[in-house]
Amino acid sequence: MELTIESIEEVLSHLYGNGERDLDLRSVRFIDPFALLLLDLALRDARANRTPLHVEWPTLPAVRRWMTDMRFFADTRVVSPDLPLPEAGTALQPIVTIEDEDHVSRLVEAFDRRLSERFPLDDAPRRRFLRILLELCQNIPQHSNATGDVPDPHGIAAMQDYDDGILLAIADKGIGFRRSLALREDLGGLDDAAAVSSVVLDGISRFRDPGHGCELQRIFRLVRSWDGTVAIRSGRAFLYHGPLGGEIYDVAPFPGVQIALRIPRRVFGIGEPPSDERRVAAEGDSRFNE
Amino acid sequence: MNRMNSTSIDIARFGRRLGTRSEGASARREIVSAIDRLPDDGQLVLSLHGVDVLSGSFADEAIGKTCQLLTSGAHGDRTMVIASPSVDLTEDLSDKLAQRKLAILCRVDRAAPPWRVLGQLARPLVETLELLMDRESATTKELAEALGIAPNVCHNRIRHLVQLHLVREERMGVSAPNTQYRFHSIV
Repeated sequence: MELTIESIEEVLSHLYGNGERDLDLRSVRFIDPFALLLLDLALRDARANRTPLHVEWPTLPAVRRWMTDMRFFADTRVVSPDLPLPEAGTALQPIVTIEDEDHVSRLVEAFDRRLSERFPLDDAPRRRFLRILLELCQNIPQHSNATGDVPDPHGIAAMQDYDDGILLAIADKGIGFRRSLALREDLGGLDDAAAVSSVVLDGISRFRDPGHGCELQRIFRLVRSWDGTVAIRSGRAFLYHGPLGGEIYDVAPFPGVQIALRIPRRVFGIGEPPSDERRVAAEGDSRFNE
Repeated sequence: MNRMNSTSIDIARFGRRLGTRSEGASARREIVSAIDRLPDDGQLVLSLHGVDVLSGSFADEAIGKTCQLLTSGAHGDRTMVIASPSVDLTEDLSDKLAQRKLAILCRVDRAAPPWRVLGQLARPLVETLELLMDRESATTKELAEALGIAPNVCHNRIRHLVQLHLVREERMGVSAPNTQYRFHSIV
């Protein structure tokens, strides 16, 4: 079992569609940052609603090690399973909390440092990536609680590199696109799918000022031009656009906005890892989490 | 007239990675204040040297909204241009200006040609602007002849460029039936 952009919906449907409170993740062999952030927010959401989840954590040491290195257990305040872990981890950018706008520049600097330490990146794509990061991070303090009635939107971000690309995930459990757009009188009647489409495909925002909006639209177009993958979830709508095309799907309801960008390594001017490294990873306990 | 009073602001003084709308709003206050201190025909050069990343949100708050103010006429004939070490640094700024249907001239180091238009400007307007920049100054009639277009078409183009503060107009005196103007490149 793998928990990824493409498969985490099964878990959310189990919890938010069927109302189950038990979650068995023991057989999970791989988790990507998007799935990890959604698990994080689901745990917090359940706790806030006083309906805690009973989770059986992955038994594979490499997966638990990655989750620990990604600060998942620290961020969710879940007691980590008391099992032996492998010594070396490969987490690229552990989960960070996006508290306010003043915090965003420091956070982006940390991401830049992590990336630069691991890869000699070309300057132009590195700048484009940091601009994407700046826009996505500041959306959380600016929009996730625009109505002022969400006690803790809990914006978080994480990043991991793989053989085929770098995956950036940013998520919150705030008001989501539909309620944000509804702050404009003329956009009050949209459902979640129409709201996602309006924001991402049409560049509409809750502000009438022409300089606002279009950031997600531009990011969406940019990542598509790189043959990357864009996944954007808000409420009951999930926009998924991969190299073969895209669509907006109906999904189980979940608060806030969750975004994943999978950007091919060649965009950054970094090749695939040496074949020896790929072989070792493929033969290990986990495809990527090791 | 195109040797106008000019002053420069290094955007890097606000940080190397720029950033958020609130950071942009703070920067805008300083930029507008610097424009206010210029003489009537003065020019502000916003230098991006030393900046690593310029996000669209910061650019819109700091530069896009200032451009909007200039085109509203709130600051008279003062103009603003950008100086950048690279084209990619200005990508999001250009998108944001286009969203506002504005444009600004940008000088890029070691680029040929050194000046380019950021934002949204229709091709015929770019053509007219480039011709005026080559000649440094001209009347509508001279530009229309050089471009091979009707004077009224050229007049509409040049009025649009004046409104965007991409060229400067100089009143030459009144002669019936219309006031005569000469137009000057701002760079």
